Amino acid sequence: MEKGKISSLQMAIMMYPGIVATAILSVPSITAKYAKTDFWLSPILASLIGYMTVYIAYKLHKLYPKQTVIQFSEQIIGRFAGKIIGFLFLVFYIQITGNMLRQYAEFVVDSFLVNTPISLIIALMALLCSFIVRGGLEALGRAAQLFFPIFTLPLLFLIILVFPDFEFKNIFPILGEGMMPPIKGAIVPGGWFTEFFLITFFLPFLTDQKKGMKYGMMTVFVVMMTLVVVNLIVLFILGLATSFKVYPLMSVGRYISLGGFFEHLESAVMAIWVVGAFIKISVFYYGIALGTAQWLNLSDYRPIVWSLGILLVIFSFWSLPSTVELHKYSVGTFPLLGLLIQMIIPLFLLGIAVMRKRKRQGSE
Amino acid sequence: MLLYKLPLMKNYRKRELIATCKKNGGSNLIRNINKLLRKPKQKNNDIQAEQERQDVKPVDFLSNHFDHNVEAFRMVYDRCSDVVFRPFLLFGKKRATIIYIEGITNVEGMEEFVLSPLIKETASETQPLNEFLENKLPISKVKRMHTIAECIESISSGNPILLYEGESAGFSLGLAKWEKRGIEEPIAEVGIRGPREGFNESLEVSTSQLRRIIKSPALKIQSMKIGSYTQTTVAIAYIDGLVDPTLIEEITNRLKRIEIDGILESEYIEEMIEDNPYSPFPQILSTERPDTACSSLLEGRAVILVEGTPFSLIAPISLFSLLQSHEDYYQRFMVGTLIRWLRYSFLSISLLLPSFYVAILTFHQEAIPTALLLSVSASRDAVPFPAVVEALLMEIMFEALREAGVRLPKQIGSAVSIVGALVIGQAAVQAGLVSAPMVIVVAITGISSFMIPRYIAGIAIRILRFPIMLLAGTLGLLGIMMGIISIVIHLCGLRSFGVPYLQPLAPLKGRELKDVLWRSPLWKMDTRPHLTGEFNRYRQSPDLAPSSKKGGDTQ
Repeated sequence: MEKGKISSLQMAIMMYPGIVATAILSVPSITAKYAKTDFWLSPILASLIGYMTVYIAYKLHKLYPKQTVIQFSEQIIGRFAGKIIGFLFLVFYIQITGNMLRQYAEFVVDSFLVNTPISLIIALMALLCSFIVRGGLEALGRAAQLFFPIFTLPLLFLIILVFPDFEFKNIFPILGEGMMPPIKGAIVPGGWFTEFFLITFFLPFLTDQKKGMKYGMMTVFVVMMTLVVVNLIVLFILGLATSFKVYPLMSVGRYISLGGFFEHLESAVMAIWVVGAFIKISVFYYGIALGTAQWLNLSDYRPIVWSLGILLVIFSFWSLPSTVELHKYSVGTFPLLGLLIQMIIPLFLLGIAVMRKRKRQGSE
Repeated sequence: MLLYKLPLMKNYRKRELIATCKKNGGSNLIRNINKLLRKPKQKNNDIQAEQERQDVKPVDFLSNHFDHNVEAFRMVYDRCSDVVFRPFLLFGKKRATIIYIEGITNVEGMEEFVLSPLIKETASETQPLNEFLENKLPISKVKRMHTIAECIESISSGNPILLYEGESAGFSLGLAKWEKRGIEEPIAEVGIRGPREGFNESLEVSTSQLRRIIKSPALKIQSMKIGSYTQTTVAIAYIDGLVDPTLIEEITNRLKRIEIDGILESEYIEEMIEDNPYSPFPQILSTERPDTACSSLLEGRAVILVEGTPFSLIAPISLFSLLQSHEDYYQRFMVGTLIRWLRYSFLSISLLLPSFYVAILTFHQEAIPTALLLSVSASRDAVPFPAVVEALLMEIMFEALREAGVRLPKQIGSAVSIVGALVIGQAAVQAGLVSAPMVIVVAITGISSFMIPRYIAGIAIRILRFPIMLLAGTLGLLGIMMGIISIVIHLCGLRSFGVPYLQPLAPLKGRELKDVLWRSPLWKMDTRPHLTGEFNRYRQSPDLAPSSKKGGDTQ
C-alpha cells in the first residue's frame, strides 16, 4: 500500500513535533495547576509512559513486522474482534486529530486573527495536510525533516532572548509538598506521551527497522527534555502565574526584546508554531488514512484522503462545543482515554500475541 | 524497399514506422521524403505524373540508371533554389552530377579537390572507378550511400553527393562547412574568475569543448536525431563509470518518445522529459558554460547537448544545484560559503519580503517598533490603497519593467529603465499613489531576485511571490506560513530523474551537506554526491589538505 520508505531518523523527526507541537501550548499551565512550582518535573515522570508505549509498539512490531495495529489486531484476536479494535483506534485517532485541528484554530483565532471565521482556518490546515498525506510517507518525512530546524531552533533562541528576564528563585521550593503534586501533574502530559503509539504506523516502512526502537526511545527522551526546558522557561518567567495563562509559552514570547527594537514577537512565535502543528496533524492524518485503508482492505489510501479530511473538519466542530470544553477534555478525558486506547489495549494485544506464540511453539 | 512500403504503412502508428526505419539502418528523414514524393500525385493526376510517380516510388535504393537517380533528386528538391545540381563529365567520359546545398558546403574545397581532379584526369583502367574515388580523392570522409534517404541526409548536413553513370550508389563527400559563431564569453553566466568560453550553437564545437576539458575516453557522447523536420542532433554526454547506467537508459527512453516537428532550443527537450511538468521549479539545469557542464559530468550527472543552442541541459539536479554558481568553486572556500549564505538569505527575501511587509502592516502592527511604525504610517497616510494592493501594483510594475528591459534593443532599454525608475520611484511617491517604504521593499526584492545565479530558478521565485502576497494580505503571517508550507509540500514530492529535489536536506545526506550548507575546501570534497543507484563514491584521495609540513625535502 505504501511504497515509500523512511529512515528511523525521519520517523523520529516526524514524531517529535507530533508530540511537542500541542504539548508546549497548553500543557504547562495545566500541569502547573496540579504541581505548582514542581511542574517541570512532571514531564520526566510522564515520559515513563512514553518509554513503555514505544516498547509495546516495538514489541508488537517485532511479532508482526510488516503490519500496523489495524492489521495485526485481526491476527491476534480474530477477524471480528480485531475489526472492532481497529475501528476503536480509528475513531479515537480521528477524534483526537479533529481536536488538534480545533485546538490549533482556537489558538490562532484567539490570539491573532480575531475576525477570521474559525472554519476557514481549520479547513485551510486540513487542506494542506491532505496534500502532504496524498504525497505519501516519503514526502511527509522530508517535510518534517525540512521543518525540524525551523521548529526547534527558535526554541533555543527563545531561551537566549528571554534569559535576562529569568527569575531563578521561582523554582523553589523543590518538592515542597512531597512527590504527589508532580505525579498528579504528570497525568496530563502522560496522555500526550501515549501518542507515541502512533509509531506503529511507521515502523513497517523503515529502511533500518532495527534502529526503530532506539530512535523511538530517543524521541521520547528528546520530547521529555524539550518539555522540561519549556516548563522551566515558563516557570522562570511566569512563576506561579503560569496556571492562569491559557498559552503560557506565548505569554513568554511577549517578554522578548531584542536591543529594545524588536518587541512583541508573538506573531512570529505563532508562525513558527504553525509549522509544528502542521507536521503533527499531518502525521496523525497519515496514520488515519493508512489505517482506514487497511481496515477497509483498500489497495491504496490516497483516494480516501479527501473524504477523511472532511471528516476531520467535522469532528473538530462536533467533538467540542467551546474552548471551555476543550480545556475540560484535555484535563479530564484525554489522558485516560489516550492511556486506555494507546497503552492498555496494545498491552493487552501484546500479552495475547506473546501467549499465542508460546502456545504455538509449545505445540510444535 | 523502405520507401515503397510507406504509403501502405500510413495506418500504422508513426512510432512503429520510425522504429522499423531505425532497425533497417535507414534514416528518420523518410517522413519528409514520403511527403515530397507524394506531391505530384496529389497535384496533377495526368498520366505523365502517374508514370513519374511509379518510376520514382520504388527508388528507395538508388537505381543503376543515372538519369533516374538524378530525376529522383530533382523531384525531391523541387523548388529548392538553394540546392545546386552540378553536372559534369567524369574523366571526360562518364556523365556525373554533384548535388549540394549552397552555404553549408565548402565550395572552394569541392572545386579544388573534387571537380578539378575528376574533370582533368583520365581514368586508369586498372582499377574500378568507385575504388578510385574512395582511395584517391583527397577528402578525409568519403562514404558510399545506397539509399535516397541516406543521400538526402548527407546533402542536408552539408556533404555533397556525387552520382555518376553506371553506379548504383552515391558518394557522400565530407565537405560540410558553414558559418559558425566563434567561441564567445557566455553572456547569461558571467563571472570574475574562471574560463571565459561558452558553448556554441554548433554541436561539434560544444562537444569538442567538453572533450578538451575531459580527455579521458570514459567521456561518452551518444547522439540521436529528434524532430521530424528539423532533424536536430541531440547528444547525451556522460562519464562511463561515474554515471548510473539506468539514468542514461532513462534519459534515452524519455528522449526517444519525443515526436515533434522541430527542436529549436533545449527548452523543447527540457519540457518533454522533465518529471513534473506542472511545477514552477525547473527540474533540469541549463548552462552555457563547459566548465559547469564538466563539473556535473564529474559528479556523475548527464549532460544533454542540443544542436542550435548554446544552452546544454544537466540532469539530474536538486534545488540546490540551481543556487550554486561556478564561481563558488573558483574563489576561496570561505568567500564561497559566505556568498552562498548571502544567496540563500536573499532568496528568501526575494520570495517573502513584500508579503512580510503586507502581513505585518495589515495584521501585526504590534510587532513593529514604535518609532518605525510612526514613520511608516506617516508615509502611508496619503496612500489610498490597502497595503496588499499597493504591493501587488508595485511588484507587477517592477516585473513589467524588468521584462521590457530584457526584450528591448539595448538602445531603448536604457530609456525604459530611466523612465521606469522615475515613474516607480520618485513620481509615484510624490503623487501619493504609493508609500516610500513600499518602494524600498520593492527595490530590495528586485535586487535580491537578481542574486539567484540561475535565471530560470529566479523566475520560479518571482511567480510564487504573488500568491504568497495575496495570502499575506488575507491571513497575515499565518497566510505566509501556509504559502511556505504548500511550497515545501510541492518540493518534497518533486524529483528530478529519480533524485529527490531537496536532497541532501530532505532526505538528509550528511555527507553531501558540505556542498550545500557550506562550500568545503576542495581538498575536503572527497566524495561525490549520491544521485541514484550505484555510484563511484570517492573523487580524490583522502589526505589532500595542504600544509607546510607536507612539502618535499627541499629547504
